[in-house]
Amino acid sequence: MSLSLTRAAAEDLLYREALYLDTRRWDEWLALYLPDATFHVPAWRDETSQTQDPETELSLVWYKGRANLEDRVWRARSGLSLASSPLPRVVHLIANVVVEDAQVEAGTGVVGSAFTVHLHDPRAERTHAFFGRYRHVLVEHDGAWRIAAKTVHLLNDVIPTVIDFHSL
Amino acid sequence: MTGAVDYRALQRLIDDRPDEGLFRVHRAVFDDPGVFDLEMQRIFAGGWVFLGLSCQAPAPHDFFTTMIGRVPVLVTRDGDGRLHGLVNSCPHKGARVAQLRSGNSRLHVCPYHSWSFDSAGRNKAIKWKSGGCYPQGFAALGQDLPALPAFGDYRGFLFGSLTAAVPPIEDHLGGAARLLDLVADQSADGFELVPGSVTFTYDANWKLQLENCSDAYHFTSAHPSYIRILENRREGGNTDAVKSIWEETDYWTGEYGGSEIQGGSYSFANGHVLNWGRFGITPAHPLFDRHEELLARVGPAQMAWMFNMRNLTIFPNLQIAENASSQLRVIRPIAANRTEMRTWCIAPKGESAPARSHRIRQYEDFFNPSGMATPDDTVAYEACQRGFASRVEPWLQGYMRGTARSAAGGNTLSDAIDMTAQRSVLADAQTCDETLYHSYYREWARRMSAVEGGPA
Repeated sequence: MSLSLTRAAAEDLLYREALYLDTRRWDEWLALYLPDATFHVPAWRDETSQTQDPETELSLVWYKGRANLEDRVWRARSGLSLASSPLPRVVHLIANVVVEDAQVEAGTGVVGSAFTVHLHDPRAERTHAFFGRYRHVLVEHDGAWRIAAKTVHLLNDVIPTVIDFHSL
Repeated sequence: MTGAVDYRALQRLIDDRPDEGLFRVHRAVFDDPGVFDLEMQRIFAGGWVFLGLSCQAPAPHDFFTTMIGRVPVLVTRDGDGRLHGLVNSCPHKGARVAQLRSGNSRLHVCPYHSWSFDSAGRNKAIKWKSGGCYPQGFAALGQDLPALPAFGDYRGFLFGSLTAAVPPIEDHLGGAARLLDLVADQSADGFELVPGSVTFTYDANWKLQLENCSDAYHFTSAHPSYIRILENRREGGNTDAVKSIWEETDYWTGEYGGSEIQGGSYSFANGHVLNWGRFGITPAHPLFDRHEELLARVGPAQMAWMFNMRNLTIFPNLQIAENASSQLRVIRPIAANRTEMRTWCIAPKGESAPARSHRIRQYEDFFNPSGMATPDDTVAYEACQRGFASRVEPWLQGYMRGTARSAAGGNTLSDAIDMTAQRSVLADAQTCDETLYHSYYREWARRMSAVEGGPA
């Protein structure tokens, strides 16, 4: 029997994703994603519109397949990336969670939310925040909700030196 | 640092002893705010600066905005299709007239008091002019948006200057113009920017970006995580990933035992440089599916050069990096210890959908501040900036690798595309020439130390 996505279930998943990123439990974070999940951070075309089609327009990040996120996790842990050593301290705050009304097939749900990521970079002694909106496409898998697609609409896109998966 | 500046003393910040083969740069070049102010004046306000591409304003009344140093600039195409480079500041109160990065407008209206200008910068109206009781001599002052004292278009690459005392743009580019040709000629239809731009900042001097683009020495040191991920992908560890050009080359592995020519550098007059590497005509290159068309249209020498890795700097603020993908970078110095980078994916028009997609994917992986290579560079720049504070040993030694291989003029490879150079180096995998930076700092010293009123 297929689940129908409630806001409580959506919030539970989003908050757990935030917790896993904040506490560097990245294996558990990866496990929230389906193997063929997409991960998209569009770039901005101009002041008011973002790119939409990753095949013809530039993104900050566009991944098709969880293995790409696994590469990023490997890099952050490798000790071979100066930008990841030491890692920034981050906290994700997620609010305004809305499960979209649109009729989708059973066992699928679309969730919009607003986020702020506060970040302290001990290397540079620099603190700032990234903010924007998330859109998650969730799919029921073995009785639990997992992420089939995530889009991060980053609003402050003048990047102070670095942005990585753990700060998005 | 205005008034009693000893400009000639600035030359002493570059320890250039060609007879002994020694070349050192003083740390003050990177972290002294007074030096930075003079750079704004003498380099950014004192010569040609890259503005953008004509394809950023393709139709009548299209415009885009940019900066020359601290000065806002408006590039606009008038109704007759002619491009104009203007100072984006109202003659009335100085307000920036055009606020957006790009758009289409027949009329630019100053937001403060509504003075308006057409798409050629001509004043069209002054609000309540007849009731304004202006003095008689007012009209003679001129109320147009001031044109940049010099504006140049080389094959769609647009340059402007805040001083009229500059050579024609073709002379400024010199032999490096052939390298812009290699970008322009990849498609018979010309080139374009992929929609979407990425802007990032870093807390370090602008010349670190200038150098890094030309730096073959850092690749295996700064990017081991990227290299290891590519190796893992090559071994089938991640079949979701796009194939990277770097997987298909031995450029950085030194597998040729350090003897075979793998690339090198060219230095040009006026501070332009190229660092290049041999990639070969590989399916991982986004141009691969049109290599036969290229061979027929541009010939074997040009085509081979188009497939080479090419990291080009047009002094002081334009870089075009064609390696994993193809990036246009505009460097904007903000302070001695702060720089903004605006970046785009530049691509030949009309390429196949798979080639375009492949180009974009490699771009994101390698070049983005959200990718897996650039952040390891920019963080290293910030480490340099911290270290520059020392004056215990004020001289930096990163300018001498390759000295014994540096030759006057070009070589057969540059001759093949009629490219003249001041100096060149042919390098094996471990040469990692650093003498190409001399071109940056000789031009820097020339511009910074020129005596006021004397020849530029």
